[in-house]
Amino acid sequence: MIRTEQLTKAFGGVRAVDGLNLDIAAGEFFAFLGPNGAGKTTTIKLLTGLLKPTSGRALICGHDIQQAPMEARKQIAYVPDLPFLYDKLAPLEFMHFIGQLYGMDRAIVERASAELFDVFDLNGTREKLIETLSHGTRQRLVIASALLHNPKVIIIDEPMVGLDPRSARVVKDVLKERSRNGATVFLSTHILHVAEELADRIGILNHGKLIAVGTMDELRAASGVVGALEDAFLSLTREEEEAPVEPASE
Amino acid sequence: MTAPTFFRVLMDLHLHMAQRRLGSLKQQSRLMLAVIMLFVLGYWVAGYALFRAGFWYLTKFPGLGGLLMDRMLYLFFAFLFLMLVFSNMIIGYSTLFKSQETQWMMTLPVRHTDVFRWKLVETALLASWAFLFLSAPFMLAYGNVRDVSWSFYLKALLLFVPFIVIPASVGLLVILFVTRYLHRQLFKWALFGLGTLAIIGAVLLVRPMDAGQLQQAEMISSMNQLLHNSRLALQPLLPSYWVASSMIAWGEGWGGRGLFFFLVLVSNAAMAVLLCAVASSRLFYDGWSRNHSQGPFRFGVTVLDREFAVRPRSSGLDRLLRLWPWLHPSTRALMVKDIRIFWRDTSQWSQFVIFFGLLGLYVLNLRNVSYDWSNEFWVSFVSFLNLGASSMTLATLTTRFVFPQFSMEGKRLWIVGMVPYGMKRVLLEKFWLSSAWSVGITLTLTLLSSWMLKLPAWMTVLFSATVVLMSFALCGIAVGVGALFPNFSTGSTANRYDNPAKIVSGFGGTFCFVLSLVYIVLVILAEALPVYWGVGVGSGRPWGIVLSWIFVSGLSLLAIVVPMSLALKKVGEMEM
Repeated sequence: MIRTEQLTKAFGGVRAVDGLNLDIAAGEFFAFLGPNGAGKTTTIKLLTGLLKPTSGRALICGHDIQQAPMEARKQIAYVPDLPFLYDKLAPLEFMHFIGQLYGMDRAIVERASAELFDVFDLNGTREKLIETLSHGTRQRLVIASALLHNPKVIIIDEPMVGLDPRSARVVKDVLKERSRNGATVFLSTHILHVAEELADRIGILNHGKLIAVGTMDELRAASGVVGALEDAFLSLTREEEEAPVEPASE
Repeated sequence: MTAPTFFRVLMDLHLHMAQRRLGSLKQQSRLMLAVIMLFVLGYWVAGYALFRAGFWYLTKFPGLGGLLMDRMLYLFFAFLFLMLVFSNMIIGYSTLFKSQETQWMMTLPVRHTDVFRWKLVETALLASWAFLFLSAPFMLAYGNVRDVSWSFYLKALLLFVPFIVIPASVGLLVILFVTRYLHRQLFKWALFGLGTLAIIGAVLLVRPMDAGQLQQAEMISSMNQLLHNSRLALQPLLPSYWVASSMIAWGEGWGGRGLFFFLVLVSNAAMAVLLCAVASSRLFYDGWSRNHSQGPFRFGVTVLDREFAVRPRSSGLDRLLRLWPWLHPSTRALMVKDIRIFWRDTSQWSQFVIFFGLLGLYVLNLRNVSYDWSNEFWVSFVSFLNLGASSMTLATLTTRFVFPQFSMEGKRLWIVGMVPYGMKRVLLEKFWLSSAWSVGITLTLTLLSSWMLKLPAWMTVLFSATVVLMSFALCGIAVGVGALFPNFSTGSTANRYDNPAKIVSGFGGTFCFVLSLVYIVLVILAEALPVYWGVGVGSGRPWGIVLSWIFVSGLSLLAIVVPMSLALKKVGEMEM
């Protein structure tokens, strides 16, 4: 469902993403980890078509995001780390607006919104203006609205920031359930235990390069560390830090 | 999703939100709403009266009245066109490339070109409404003096539609090319260069009529000079020429000629939109991606910077501020932060260049004025006009750039609020920093303009002292009201109030501007009345000027102390 082929993005003289090859299957929960500045958000922007790759390509459900952006984006739900909302709308109005943008039938929007509001505990706020909502409530609303059109690919950047434990649990459960039902989840996070708990496979990016990818056991084997993901992550990224940095050729 | 559906959905959304915003006005203080409404009405009434008087004055020139009135219309629309192009460029850049909404839209199943077209409409409306609002009294006065029928005003409204489309398209075309082919850092310098060239060009080409000659018996040559100097506005390829020609023709009752120019305007607007659409399909996404992918720029040098960040400047600015040893280190740090942020924000910078450029243009043109200084009327009139123009521009500058400073701290407020000396120091730093640059700019311009106008020494001292007081007072109002009526985003989702232009457009910004104007009017009245009543400096009874100075000083002190102390009290109690 998500495939990248030698995906590269250079900023000035530096490769933020360097020859990334990924192949993530339908129904797979993929966690994307890396230190600050590793290129995770740039990768996500390349996957969603917000940035143009310097070379290589990204495919969503078989559609090249650059060549067939409309087909690809219809299948995507994207939740950025700093999401956008219209402050002067109420949550239910926002859901209707999103439904219209995706060409959904009003009755379906009503039903799906009601279900999502139940799941994300948003019923108490459906008539309030978004500008009055707390950060956690806004974050839940953003995720709910992203799932409204039943996307096949969910790309989500740091979804747990600012969520209370109950809300975080709900988000994790919903994402896992969507993955079990066939959606591909691509989750970028710094919270390692979330990745450890939810992901089928984990990819670790450092200096724009995918330095490790696999299941928890495969990562442990690659790092030579027995224990939690944190130890494997620190071991793998430390090794990479010690390697010399190669500047881009352009 | 098809373009018409996308447009319809967004149109519904924005109408709905506009209704909400109007509804939320009910929650604002009635007194403040009344003050703002009064100000709006006052502007329209005063503007209409002044323009009407001006047009009547022009009609009195035998044989030339109509010609001069029409020339005013050509000049007005030429100036409006230029301002609209600049305004669209600045707003278009923010709306297309800096807005979180655009970024979000780019991930929707909508064509990029449709996003661009929507943003073209949004930019055109945002950039144009204020100009139309401000030009309404001018058009009404023109119509009244020309004695036109009511249908003229409807036709004028109709003409405005294609007229605002052309500068919007031109402005966005420029932005499309710039973002696609120029580095955004280079864009800042290009804009600065363009602004400088425009000012130099305007100084060289636009020479106002020598008003001194108006007093003398050289009316015909003066008129010739005026008509000759304003001939640029008569270029038949300018959209402003078509709109003015159409309006004049409709005003005269020449329906065919009016319709012809209207159709010229419509067809060119359609062509501009078409060009924009073609250019957007080829350049917008590339430009967008480039704009969000650029590392730091150095002239001719490829930069290798691991974090893609702007390297902290060597402490040149710090060293400069260390020259003032009484500045507390935390105050100095805040000042360095504010100056750096301002410098690195292209949209802030570019608007500042335009404001400053206009003020500079005004002052530079004063060299062409040679008044008869033995005539008391001209001395008083030109001097107070000069003071009024400078202070109004300063009020615009402080409202636009100083008022949003506190709100722009937004969700980062706690960072500066947690320093040992707290929010009060932050607020005082903003007051002193803004006052310092305001005094620097206005004092330089006042001294320069006084020298160019060959003002007597006492008047130069009087005006210099006045603008220093006004700079402090207007900054006090802007910083104080900015903290009393901050415009924060309420959460950590996309912070739309990172855009200072939107902060100013709120209630607090309007209140700040109205308060600043009230202060300016009171100061100018206080200084002008003694001259009018014959108790000024040159009258032999200078007690009037002494009294007025006591009043101006007291008023300025109030303008600083009241908003600042209320704001300091508020931020002292603020929960972050």
